[in-house]
Amino acid sequence: MADAAPQGKLIEFKGASLAVMTAYIRDADAVRLADALHMMLGGMPDFFAGEPAILDFSQLGGQPERVDWTALISLLRRYQLQPVGVRRLPPHLHDGARRVNLALLGDDVPAAERPITPPAPAPASTAEVPPLAPVAAGAPADEPPRAPTQVVERPLRSGQQVYAKGGDLVLLAGMSPGSEVIADGSIHCYGPLRGRALAGARGDTSARIFSTNFGPELVSIAGVYRTFDRGIPQAVAGRNAQVRLSGSDNLHTLEIIPLQND
Amino acid sequence: MARVIVVTSGKGGVGKTTSSASVSTGLALRGFKTAVIDFDVGLRNLDLIMGCERRVVYDLINVVNGEANLHQALIKDKHCENLFVLPASQTRDKDALTEEGVEKVLKELTHMGFEYVVCDSPAGIERGAVMALTFADEAIIVTNPEVSSVRDSDRILGILQSKSRRAIEGREPVREHLLVTRYSPKRVEDGEMLSYKDVQELLRIPLIGVIPESDDVLQASNQGLPAIHLKDSDVATAYLDVVARFLDEDRPLRFVNYEKPGLLKRLFGGK
Repeated sequence: MADAAPQGKLIEFKGASLAVMTAYIRDADAVRLADALHMMLGGMPDFFAGEPAILDFSQLGGQPERVDWTALISLLRRYQLQPVGVRRLPPHLHDGARRVNLALLGDDVPAAERPITPPAPAPASTAEVPPLAPVAAGAPADEPPRAPTQVVERPLRSGQQVYAKGGDLVLLAGMSPGSEVIADGSIHCYGPLRGRALAGARGDTSARIFSTNFGPELVSIAGVYRTFDRGIPQAVAGRNAQVRLSGSDNLHTLEIIPLQND
Repeated sequence: MARVIVVTSGKGGVGKTTSSASVSTGLALRGFKTAVIDFDVGLRNLDLIMGCERRVVYDLINVVNGEANLHQALIKDKHCENLFVLPASQTRDKDALTEEGVEKVLKELTHMGFEYVVCDSPAGIERGAVMALTFADEAIIVTNPEVSSVRDSDRILGILQSKSRRAIEGREPVREHLLVTRYSPKRVEDGEMLSYKDVQELLRIPLIGVIPESDDVLQASNQGLPAIHLKDSDVATAYLDVVARFLDEDRPLRFVNYEKPGLLKRLFGGK
């Protein structure tokens, strides 16, 4: 070899900080979680696009004896979320987490983390749906930059999906039944709103859905969703309407309000 | 460049092949050199509807594979001067269809002087259907006035917008036309059937025509004669109107209003 390898470290360690998302898991049952994720994300297979996440169990309900870690990890991976560690996990579950190589992170809440009100299950008007414990995405220490508004000019057809990452979405020609739109911000639909619309997909409870011709299959804001199998309420069917979260302190009720037509 | 028209629907059995046969005939009757291609590999029907099933020697797959050239495979229609049929293979499966192969065939048809190429799509959204729409300049979306047909038409419109060459290359989008078939004004009046206006409102593409439900269509298929040849029948008139509108001529919509038959007709039978 002409050049000798430099004498010195072959690997070096430096301190770094990483903006990472926290997923608050309230129900670790993989089957129920799969349902909740499907409802929230409309089955978009690679929603998180490989983002790392810390699984926070401080809000875990039901005090389960054990967690099926393999099922849980594979479910989250299916949405391309990379679980890197767990936090505030009850001690009796530590071994299981270690066995699937999840780091047991410290229990203190980083100062910069902003608590986001976790979305609650769907309101009473859809009584036939059992209350789910959806996974809430908390805001990381540095929020991703707001992306410019995405505009879709042609009608969105059955089977098509659009995801406006980091911003709002505008549909200029409506959407058909069987289509899906997801936005981290708000959704503005000019034309018939007939498919599934999920706003505030990363937990932004201030996101709203606006439409000039209201008639969706499902609407959701920050995980709080509503379906319409008993029909669209008369006051808003086919009219200008907006959907937003309300409830003074806990923001877990979905309101659908007609807008003035003139 | 030959103008490529795909006749598609998503849903099966709504009238794609019937319409492909009649529309291509209509264009040929107007003097345009027209080819109609069956993309339903393995389940070919276009040759039966056109009445040339006994003259099939080579098919689309033979041409794509280089086993025959277009001159050998194209069948001259016996009813119409300017019309040629390229049948599908009955024995191979759809994997034999390749995008490059189809593109080559279409380019060669242009060189041969064809002005219109009508692509009769199979049902569904798999390979055959996607191949049929990939090179389309225009699309006729055949839809029955019925909810599942409307849903499937909507789906195929989405696929047209994402998988056609025009869409992928960012060129002017494929021109879409809605053709409502098997229409029964009486059933619409009785509230049993969607009206053509409902269908158009749901799909939001321009309407090119409405073809009434008719026993004539079955008769025509059995004879191997495209329905547009059945002189003075409602179906033939409706297809002639479709071709006229396709060529940017104005035609009022016919066969969409239910006229209650007079007393005598009701007493002695009739619709």
